[in-house]
Amino acid sequence: MKRTLSFVMTVALLLSTAALGFAAPSKVTVWCWDPNFNGASMKAAAAVYNKTHTDVTIEIVDIPQQIEAKIEAGLQAGGKGLPDIALFQDFIIEKFVQNYPKAFVDLKAAGIDYSQFAAYKVGPMTAGNSVYGVPFDTGSTGLWLRADYIKAAGLNPDSYMKSMKWSEVIKLGETVKAKTGKPLITYQSDNFDMLRILVQSTGGQFFKPDGSLNLRSDAFKKSLAAFKEMNDKGMLYLAEGWSNWIDSINNDQAAGFLNAIWMVGTIKSKPENKGKWMVVPTPLIDVAGAKAASNNGGSSWYVFNSAPNKAGAIDFLKSVWASKDPAALSFYNDILKGQGAMGTYMPSRAGSNYTVKDDFFYKNQAVFADFSKWMEQVPVLKYTPNYSAMRDAVANATLKYFQGKIASIDDTIAAAEKEYKEVMGN
Amino acid sequence: MNRKGAFARYLNRSGWLFVTPALVLFGVFMLYPILSSLYLVTRKWRGMTDSFVGLGNFVRMAQDNQFWHALGNNFLLMILQVPLMVILALVLAVVLNQGIRRGRGLVRLMFFLPAVTSLVAYSILFRILLQTNGMLNNLMLSLGVIQQPIGWLNDPFWATITMVIAITWRWTGYNMIFFLVGLQNIDPEIYEAAEVDGASKITVFFKITLPLLVPVILFSAVTSTSGTLQLFDEPNILTNGGGPANATMTAALYIYRQAFVTNSDFGYATAMSYVIVLIAGILAIVQIRLLGDRK
Repeated sequence: MKRTLSFVMTVALLLSTAALGFAAPSKVTVWCWDPNFNGASMKAAAAVYNKTHTDVTIEIVDIPQQIEAKIEAGLQAGGKGLPDIALFQDFIIEKFVQNYPKAFVDLKAAGIDYSQFAAYKVGPMTAGNSVYGVPFDTGSTGLWLRADYIKAAGLNPDSYMKSMKWSEVIKLGETVKAKTGKPLITYQSDNFDMLRILVQSTGGQFFKPDGSLNLRSDAFKKSLAAFKEMNDKGMLYLAEGWSNWIDSINNDQAAGFLNAIWMVGTIKSKPENKGKWMVVPTPLIDVAGAKAASNNGGSSWYVFNSAPNKAGAIDFLKSVWASKDPAALSFYNDILKGQGAMGTYMPSRAGSNYTVKDDFFYKNQAVFADFSKWMEQVPVLKYTPNYSAMRDAVANATLKYFQGKIASIDDTIAAAEKEYKEVMGN
Repeated sequence: MNRKGAFARYLNRSGWLFVTPALVLFGVFMLYPILSSLYLVTRKWRGMTDSFVGLGNFVRMAQDNQFWHALGNNFLLMILQVPLMVILALVLAVVLNQGIRRGRGLVRLMFFLPAVTSLVAYSILFRILLQTNGMLNNLMLSLGVIQQPIGWLNDPFWATITMVIAITWRWTGYNMIFFLVGLQNIDPEIYEAAEVDGASKITVFFKITLPLLVPVILFSAVTSTSGTLQLFDEPNILTNGGGPANATMTAALYIYRQAFVTNSDFGYATAMSYVIVLIAGILAIVQIRLLGDRK
């Protein structure tokens, strides 16, 4: 009797735990870096989604370093260990789409309307008739300047709050350096983002339509020349890597920098700088067709074909990131204010935060309105799958040029082409 | 009768049973990867797609100056750093063994502690300390030792020096412990006999201590050399991916970048790895021949 009873109880317990498993909530896993920006934006999206889908848990995993290498290893293993959704930077995605053609879910076929997203974001994620990701943030750039240092140099910051040519910026830099001893701009020397921002603003391309390098173009040469002039006049501060560059901004090693809107979080992390920063349009290179706008960075969300919860992931992205639903639109509005993350979903630009004056900036500049306006003019850049190799080759050659080890622009281009050829093995 | 006995021993069940797990692990984790790498190396990869190139990867490697430059950096670091570290470790061990009486344990701990730090953590720390406006430059500027900040991380010469300093800091204590053990294994009677014969401290060191420590020096040299050939974390993190314009790029970092960052070309990365293994093997043999088997 006792034995039968205990047997029955065991079976009952087992069945009930199994039943618990059946009723368990479904999970969507997301990989991204930067918990204060990407992670926080995804968390806000999850909160919106959970209001209508209470049984779904969105798990956001922070991958601080080299997320692409981790993902590559997972793709080589046929998708094992990979999440449902991952964040990819726009300049790297073409390499993955080309090398792992079956890795991602075609979200156009899953029903997302891409006409509502900024065209320059949709370009890199398109292959033939398939479109693979959900565009996230823009890397719309501007020239960030410290108004207090301009004042200290005896100039009026208000007269610089306009679209300028680089020749005017160089004059400003000379004065600031002479009067305050500070370089005007700090830049990163391991990837030379700033040089590529200049090239993209001219509408120039790094690759020809056939995929070969296009460094001998007028756009590249003029951009490099302008940058070299700044270097020779002592108005640049060289930071060796990302953390060194952030450190140089936080420690006032220079009076400004040229980079994208997503720097707003870093800038605001120093409350003592309230009222000191202003952002002006990306200066113009002296080339026909140059625009006072460019892009650096920006990422998008992708769903893996190997995702454990593919349907859940697709539904989540569609409902919050690609929907005209008021809750979804207010989500975009909230992450703009909360994280400084400006999405590229066009209907969301009607949000109130897009035009609000920001009291952190000099004269309460409505920075988001400015970045949003500039975003419309960003010349489209074709990344191609070989972008990383080009980026490294150009960065290495340019650094040697700046340090006097290479004599001329033509030699620099030749050195970059040589390194690119050796690394790519052509 | 003899033959049957030998055969029976060969079939010893329990013997095979004990050895099988190790054989299985060896087969799965060493033999299979080596065999599959033989397959990988004959193909040019782009992620999931591959095409047969035969010896094409090796031909490409012969013309790839980036790889030879990286390998050259490995050798440069080897020549600069390994002798420096071995000598330093030896001197420290001798001082610790004979010179310091009090606080010996504390000093030993102080020098050994770097060896248990994570490679990534200490690389990050050194990078923060050595940046242009970092603590080291600020200290030297305020003391008047230098007038301009030194480009520890953005000048190719100083970046190499930075690597030497960082690696020496990390591994000297580790090698020092081996030398300490070696020293303590020397029979003190030999020292007494030398003292009786009137030998000076210097003579004792060079004629007695050093020759008796040769096996430890050999071990130190071989492991350090092979370690320097595989240098990855320091150039990746400390010098932001191979130093100013590839000045501190090392072979292992270049292989990693070819495989996971730039190209997804695993065949080419495998081919380069073969070359590294070959070089490491040759170096080990050379060192063992030079320093070992003195008898």
